Amino acid sequence: MESLAARVRSARTPRARQKDGWRAAVFLAPALLLLILFVYAPALLALGLGFFHYHLLGIGTTWAGLTNFRSALRYSLFWTALRNTLLYALIMVPVTLIGALLLAQLLCGPGKYVGFLRTLILLPYITPVIATAIGWLWIFNPQYGLLNSLMSWLGLPVHQWMQSPTWALPAVAMYTLWHGLGFDMIIALAALASLPKSVSEAAQIDGAGPATIFFRVTLPLLTPTLFFLLVITTIGSLQAFSQIYALSGGQGGPEYATTTLIFLIYQTAFQYYHFSYAAAMAVLLVLLILGLTLFQNWLSKRWVFYQ
Amino acid sequence: MSALPAVRRRGSRWLQLVLATLVALIFLVPLYIALVTSLDTRADVFSFPTHLLLDFDFSPYARVWGMARWPMYFLNTAFITGTTIVLALATSVLAAYALSFLRFGFRERLFVLILLVLMIPAEALLIPNYVVLHLLGLLNTYWAQILPYGVSVFGIFLLRQFFLSLPSSYWDAARIDGCGHLRFLWSVALPLAAPTLFTIALYIFIGSWNSFQWPLIVTTSHHVQPIEVAVARLTQAHSVDWRRLSAAGLMATLPLILVYALVQKQIIRGISRGEGLQG
Repeated sequence: MESLAARVRSARTPRARQKDGWRAAVFLAPALLLLILFVYAPALLALGLGFFHYHLLGIGTTWAGLTNFRSALRYSLFWTALRNTLLYALIMVPVTLIGALLLAQLLCGPGKYVGFLRTLILLPYITPVIATAIGWLWIFNPQYGLLNSLMSWLGLPVHQWMQSPTWALPAVAMYTLWHGLGFDMIIALAALASLPKSVSEAAQIDGAGPATIFFRVTLPLLTPTLFFLLVITTIGSLQAFSQIYALSGGQGGPEYATTTLIFLIYQTAFQYYHFSYAAAMAVLLVLLILGLTLFQNWLSKRWVFYQ
Repeated sequence: MSALPAVRRRGSRWLQLVLATLVALIFLVPLYIALVTSLDTRADVFSFPTHLLLDFDFSPYARVWGMARWPMYFLNTAFITGTTIVLALATSVLAAYALSFLRFGFRERLFVLILLVLMIPAEALLIPNYVVLHLLGLLNTYWAQILPYGVSVFGIFLLRQFFLSLPSSYWDAARIDGCGHLRFLWSVALPLAAPTLFTIALYIFIGSWNSFQWPLIVTTSHHVQPIEVAVARLTQAHSVDWRRLSAAGLMATLPLILVYALVQKQIIRGISRGEGLQG
């Protein structure tokens, strides 16, 4: 069947085409105006702002050259934040990938009951972060919290969690996994459901055991989905803000242990009002995101299997 | 063929269900803990190991309700979310229609330029968007929280895909009846696109209702702030009273849980199809 759009296009006379030009401009104007104001222009501004000394009041915007970038690179907190950011991503990515696969294996299959359980696991994903982090702060409470109750019941060492420079970042990761793992599970489930049956059945007839089928057949077929999860989890980790704000009481502590780059940028720009300095750091963060994405793309050629 | 074959054998199906139930319950624990804490009698809150049984002392809710202007914050959030949905749907529908049905010179290139927006990391726009709102004199208003989300590029993409799939006989029939583009869009294309519109609206709703970072940055006046910012302020001011804090947190979570109970099927379907990634 000929598509409607193709038909509409071919039915036009030159005069009508002219008319369409105006109509198109009117139809597109609101969207384009908003995109110019809040995406295109700011994107250009983002690149430029770091090269100036800029003040909100507009007085004395002067050329700064590379000064902002140089002082960012000399700022020890910048490197702490970079380390925290990478460490956080390093915790989140493998745990998310493995967790999503395990959950999907466990919660696959037909039936209303399993479907209901899937709904429960996705539930945290739609809850507001600040509101649900409160329950977790109580869970992390060193004296009365559930987590330490559980740890001591199991005979494991208790920790100070959000008050410990070592355990604060893993605690933030724990919250984020609770909040987002259901989403990754649904994506893994969709991938599992779309796998061709014939391949694993053939392997089974050839005498392959369940473990062999999983590692040699299912897993390779899932690599495109794993790659997708890898990319969105990395980007999500680099963006993590609300949960850090909520769990650290808006401080990024203790001892800067949860100050990631995006948190440092927020503090620099909106608590201390060093806009161009923060803008320079934002450019460095974007370069980091770009670099990681390109690296993952390059690496994916070695392990992602496209049918 | 998806799960480990061992797990799928009939006997192990029960084991799978028991394990899955346990895991699902673990995901509910943090919400349950908040509920227990918010309803605890004072004596039970500070006990170790953690108190796990429900009491029914509703006084923290009454007290937290009196501590801030919650109806105002709820209304602010509802207004910001509602306006964002209407605005973003309107701009995206019009743009998608032009990009699928209308003929003009640089259409395909313009579509690519619009899709490029999806590649720009949100972090890059944080500071310049603030500067733009400052220059427009819109800081500390509702509009500062609405306009930057006033067009959904992913929505344009989905709607354009849908419009291009409509059979041409619809347009022919509409043409013969003397239908113009606007009439056709309003009375034929939009009703057919209702499921797509609903999906887009759903993700804008979740994103907007739960947004925190942006309102935190662009607002200082309580009168225009959404509920998440108000709850965060409470966290910092009263970090000691866990019962009230938990009550406030649950109050802010409840509307989302209600909406989820109604539309969880659509949300799961949207994520499965990869539609749920952009707000």
